[in-house]
Amino acid sequence: MAGIADFLDSLIGGFDLICYSLTIGGLFWGLFVLRPWNNQDGYNAVLLQKTIALIYKGGFLLAAAQLFKIILKIWLMTAVLERWPFPEFANTTQFIGGIIRTLLAIFLAGYCYQTLSKNPFSKAHWTTASIVALPMIISGAWLVHAAGRFDDRFMLMSLTVLHQLAAAAWIGGIFQLVNLWLLRQNNRVTAQLWPLMLHRFSWFGIASVAMILVSGLPIALQYIDTWNGLIGTGYGNLLIVKITLLAIALGFAWLNKSAVREYRISGDHYALNNRVPYYIEAETVVLITLLFTAASLASQPPAIDISNLTASWQEVLNTFSPQIPQTNSPSHVALIAGEAGRVAIIDQVPSMAATEWSNYNHNIAGIFLTAMSFFAMLSYIKHLPSSFSAFDKYLPLTRYWPLGFIGLGIFLFFRSDAESWPLGPISFWDSTFNNGEVLQHRIATLLVFTLGMIELSARITKNPHSKLAFVFPILAAFGGLMLLTHSHVGFQAKSAFLIQVGHTTMGIFSLILACGRWLELKLDRPGKDIAGFISVAALFQIGIVLMFYREPLY
Amino acid sequence: MKKWIKLILLVLTLGQATLVIAHAVVTDYSLKVTPIRANQPDNIELTFNSKIELGLSQIFLVRKGDKHELLQAETGSKQGQIIIHIPALEPGDYAIRFKIFAADGHLTEDVIHFSVS
Repeated sequence: MAGIADFLDSLIGGFDLICYSLTIGGLFWGLFVLRPWNNQDGYNAVLLQKTIALIYKGGFLLAAAQLFKIILKIWLMTAVLERWPFPEFANTTQFIGGIIRTLLAIFLAGYCYQTLSKNPFSKAHWTTASIVALPMIISGAWLVHAAGRFDDRFMLMSLTVLHQLAAAAWIGGIFQLVNLWLLRQNNRVTAQLWPLMLHRFSWFGIASVAMILVSGLPIALQYIDTWNGLIGTGYGNLLIVKITLLAIALGFAWLNKSAVREYRISGDHYALNNRVPYYIEAETVVLITLLFTAASLASQPPAIDISNLTASWQEVLNTFSPQIPQTNSPSHVALIAGEAGRVAIIDQVPSMAATEWSNYNHNIAGIFLTAMSFFAMLSYIKHLPSSFSAFDKYLPLTRYWPLGFIGLGIFLFFRSDAESWPLGPISFWDSTFNNGEVLQHRIATLLVFTLGMIELSARITKNPHSKLAFVFPILAAFGGLMLLTHSHVGFQAKSAFLIQVGHTTMGIFSLILACGRWLELKLDRPGKDIAGFISVAALFQIGIVLMFYREPLY
Repeated sequence: MKKWIKLILLVLTLGQATLVIAHAVVTDYSLKVTPIRANQPDNIELTFNSKIELGLSQIFLVRKGDKHELLQAETGSKQGQIIIHIPALEPGDYAIRFKIFAADGHLTEDVIHFSVS
């Protein structure tokens, strides 16, 4: 249960940041982009009500998330310490700060719900809402990474709050753009508002990103003092992931800005209405993942504190170096024999069988994915090069590539839990319902199997309105998010990092896979085909990473 | 359809649950320079990179056979330092296993091995 509580704790951190962006970013949007008191822009009551609704719903959800965080902490401590954590917990900064922030978030959301929504065109009320938000924003400083530090505590707390504000301004603005597009699609706002807001937001977005960099750089320099710290620690690795996601999001932002510029020069609004909304959807997914990564970063020890546990760049590169996949598994008997020594604290004996068992699982899964994605890439090709043209007639069969997921599901079913049926002595029912980890593996196996069936149906369906195809990118994005936010237990910090670096790389490729497939389903040609190919190429990369995976001996 | 997606996402969430490595780490400990003496009570000093909520933390002595014994600890004079009181130990291999709640809200579990000779 402690594992579930702790994982939910890391997830709620990302959810908290999403709600924060909805509320604070929504206020920034109102004050600097929408400016509702300018009636000549052609606003209507529906737009204003929807805009403010996002702000107060975000605020109420933020309060709920903050409260849930406290409950999770109590749950986690009760599970880990095996006792009720009060009265000690009541005196901690986390408890007191969390309760204060919850109340301030409720107060802010209540003001927006009760007062701002009744005076949506009033500049004074928007200004008052932002003043009401200030104590809640400041209270968050005592709940961040920097609050527990000894050196430069207040400077780091202030910079972190600034960093969060800038990110909320950008991401909250993107949420508002999605809201505006939905209203525009349903003809509930005038058509002119869409390009006008896109244009205004593009400048506001640039300012927000500049502030993200200005506030983030000193924090990074404070927590990471060497290049090795950036490359060879979990903290540095997640920072690199954040920078990569930021770059992807900025790529979408650039596409949007280019479309707005084209519209303002030529008056052609085709791209504005047929591409930009979907780029913004993909950008939203990337930014949400970025927020979860940011929350995950807060659970990592800063690189500056673990210089003795930092991996060298050669060790990092080695985890990706091509090698012959392990296609021979150690015997089940050898694996079980090594378990007692591996999990012992005193007289621990690393188990080569456990490492090789895991390598085999990862490598074979990699072979599955690489082969599937190879056929998936072929499915986008009309004709093979002339020397292979004899095989052209088989090309239509390549669209059945999701069948590989079904095979992968069966493989995982047999290999995930060595001690349980069908390989181990514990029966199927006993292992499934008396062991949380085995139950999770069984569910994951069933899902991989189901995903294969769904994606196969989506690829071969003749119904053009089928929504089945959207399941795959949603799950791929979720899978990417999981890979970026979960860490590994039972390992020393350096070993855990060397495992993490491969998993975060796969997480980024999963996100590319998800966005690519989403855009393939939404865009017109040629963007559709390009996005689709990029998507399956990302799946290929995941397969390659898995195929060369090597676990440290532990 | 939406219900199915929500259900799948929920089970995926639970299917991925793992314990994370948290923020507070030991940056220094006295065992590096001062070994524990055999057959007499002693202290071990641990220094963390973050403020520690000692009332919400647990420290165990682990003996051969992974037998756990809860130890008493108090705050040290330096920032982030705690002093652990160790009972008299016979020569052999031991470990200190701790579950630490840091001021930033993260729980950390770790093990430090040591020998008494």
